[in-house]
Amino acid sequence: MNPNSSLCMPNEHRLSRRRLLGTAAGAVGAFGLGGLLQPAVANELSKKDKQVLFIWIDGGMSQFESWDPKPNTLFGGPFRAIPTSVPGVHISELMPQTAKQMHHMAIVRSLCTQDNSHSAGVARIQRGDPKNRGVTYPYFGSAVSNLLGPGSSNLPSYVWIKPGSGGFIHEDAGFLGPKYGALAFGDGKPPENLMRPESISESEDEARHQLRGIVNAHYANRRRPVVSEANKYVFDTARTLMHRRELFDETAFSERDRERYGTHEFGRHMLIGRKMLEAGVRFVKVNSYGWDTHGDNFNGHLSLMPKFDQAYSAVIEDLAASGMLDHVLVIAMSEFGRTPRINGHIGRDHWPESWSLAMAGCGVKKGVVVGKTNDKGTFVDSDPLDIGHMFHTWFRALGIDPNETQFSNAGQPLPIAHDDLHACEEVLA
Amino acid sequence: MNESAELLLDRYEPHETGQIVVEPQVTEARFSPCGRFLAATGFDARVRLWSITGEKPTELPAIVGHNGWVHSIAYHPTESILYSSDSWGQIRATRLTDEAPQEHWTCPTAHDGWIRQIDISSDGNLLASAAPDRDICLWSTRDGSLITKWKGHDEDIQSLRFHPGGNLLATGDARGLVKIWEFRTGKLIREFDASSLWLLHRLQDVGGARLIRFNPIGTQLACGGVKPSSGGTVQGEPTLLVFDTETSELKANLTFGVANDCYLQDVHWTDDDVLICVTSGTPGAGKLIMRRIEDEKAFYETTKMPNCMSVSLLSESSDPRNARQSKQLAVVTTNRNSNGNGRRINKNGEYEGNNSPIFLFRLGKKV
Repeated sequence: MNPNSSLCMPNEHRLSRRRLLGTAAGAVGAFGLGGLLQPAVANELSKKDKQVLFIWIDGGMSQFESWDPKPNTLFGGPFRAIPTSVPGVHISELMPQTAKQMHHMAIVRSLCTQDNSHSAGVARIQRGDPKNRGVTYPYFGSAVSNLLGPGSSNLPSYVWIKPGSGGFIHEDAGFLGPKYGALAFGDGKPPENLMRPESISESEDEARHQLRGIVNAHYANRRRPVVSEANKYVFDTARTLMHRRELFDETAFSERDRERYGTHEFGRHMLIGRKMLEAGVRFVKVNSYGWDTHGDNFNGHLSLMPKFDQAYSAVIEDLAASGMLDHVLVIAMSEFGRTPRINGHIGRDHWPESWSLAMAGCGVKKGVVVGKTNDKGTFVDSDPLDIGHMFHTWFRALGIDPNETQFSNAGQPLPIAHDDLHACEEVLA
Repeated sequence: MNESAELLLDRYEPHETGQIVVEPQVTEARFSPCGRFLAATGFDARVRLWSITGEKPTELPAIVGHNGWVHSIAYHPTESILYSSDSWGQIRATRLTDEAPQEHWTCPTAHDGWIRQIDISSDGNLLASAAPDRDICLWSTRDGSLITKWKGHDEDIQSLRFHPGGNLLATGDARGLVKIWEFRTGKLIREFDASSLWLLHRLQDVGGARLIRFNPIGTQLACGGVKPSSGGTVQGEPTLLVFDTETSELKANLTFGVANDCYLQDVHWTDDDVLICVTSGTPGAGKLIMRRIEDEKAFYETTKMPNCMSVSLLSESSDPRNARQSKQLAVVTTNRNSNGNGRRINKNGEYEGNNSPIFLFRLGKKV
């Protein structure tokens, strides 16, 4: 319940290039490198240019104050609902800019998930809550990274733009192995000491690279391939990033974009996220913290939502205008919603029983609302959708058939999404 | 306890006389100046009303026609008219009777959105209102016509209060800037720095100038809220900053609890300079506190009521010699166990909301 607790703010370490290399390599021992069970499928999928923008609203955005308003009802709160660009679809008045982009979007209002705590909920949601088989499943970003590969950009396939510090978050990868972990850029900044020092010339750096290749080959000869592959991956990642410093150059953003996305942290990070997508990163996660509004929920959302609205609507508008929305799947969600009941601190608590998320982009119908809650917003009043349903849906939207595709956990075939659940056909294009 | 505190306790010690349990929740309850009515605002677009002339409060038909939350109410100083505002931008004037309330006038689109506060001028002629649209509006209390409006803040306005002297209006915003205006001209007279009541935590503006009060003779302005330490689940010390109205000088920085006591929700400043205050607290916490500015500590404090939202004093006379026999206090609270993650179903399988016990007290020694 305390937003300052470790439950709400995972404690990532700061990242330097040296630590990036050390952390990932050190993790190899704990995690085997996984992969697709069917390499041919992986090769086929990797040719596609599908990308994901995963917007993670950490702590729990209120569905009442966003995607599923219930104005003038017992638990509806103070705010109005406003019409959107899709006739008949209304969202909270706190999202006027997003309302103009509704014709690109799909809202799911019938989420009913299993966990009401941050500590378990964040991971459970982002891992798709599959059947318990005694293994740690990958986060969605790691799964996509594994299933679709890095693409032709040679950039890291799973990056995370987040407030605070960065790091190589190998834990996200679960049994897939550290290669598929998240490379987190704290405050959108590159890892410390990433850039080549001025005292080292380009030719000297190239010579060092050649020497490292020789040493690495020697190192790899005496170790299992999974270890050497991970080791090579993190070195290559660092080297790739060294040559792409423009990705982190915020001064290159136009003044118009700064204003549209917002000069606040979330706006800046979303703009960097867009840049990463444009550069070809397969999976970009953009993160906002501070949404755990057990107290003063309505003033909290009155302050928070306009910033979300600004950045979210801008990126949808831009991806649509550039045509990227045809191949980028955009998902905006939290680990749960917030209670209908308003507590004595004028807050809303955690509520996984009936909440919402928003999607847009490749494979997703435009301008639809799927599922509904009852008139008070207390429970789902249509077929409830668990996160497993959404994983099936997202994989399908990305062109991956979750019924035909499996992970390999050191040879053990494992389903990529909960094997008893299925995609939500209503939202798929 | 020194003699002075003992005397204050003689005058103000609360003795519970009853409770009204209101469902769904209400956030503010006010006695009418005439002493006949108690009105409460809440989350169901109604103003609940009680007649308090009998032995026990008797509920009257509610004022309906509002939308969203009814967030602020104010009485005409001499007539039985109640003004109410809601979160969808409507202001209503209602004549109160011992039977059904009678609509006096309605302005359905006074603001674009959540009207944070209204107040009535001391002569009863003007109603001031403010909302996140950042308009400060003055309305005729007689017919609801707009007299003037101006934009006075760069941030959302959260509070306002007429100066008792009759020609000044104070407004406070989400970042703790308080301004005093000569309201007939819209001229800015003075600014007060209450920014310690605000924190930018990640994306969230936390706190702000949540309440403004003047002492009865108008020489001091107090701005209250929380000194925030975090957003999300807001934490911070309930705080009241007291300024000299003439000079803007900060005269006192009063803290009413620890971090989990959170917002100072309401303050009544009595004619004999006693501050009767309530704090909301995290669920289950919250206090009723009585103190004077110059004293080192409160002369009365209780934590028996969780999540206090408002405090209203009914004083039949401004003369403290008479008042000790007649003062009544109403404190809006929230039921215990009001919070909790996940579903909480009653024995009938229904999802329950919360309610608001309104505690009623007689103040002072029984005569």
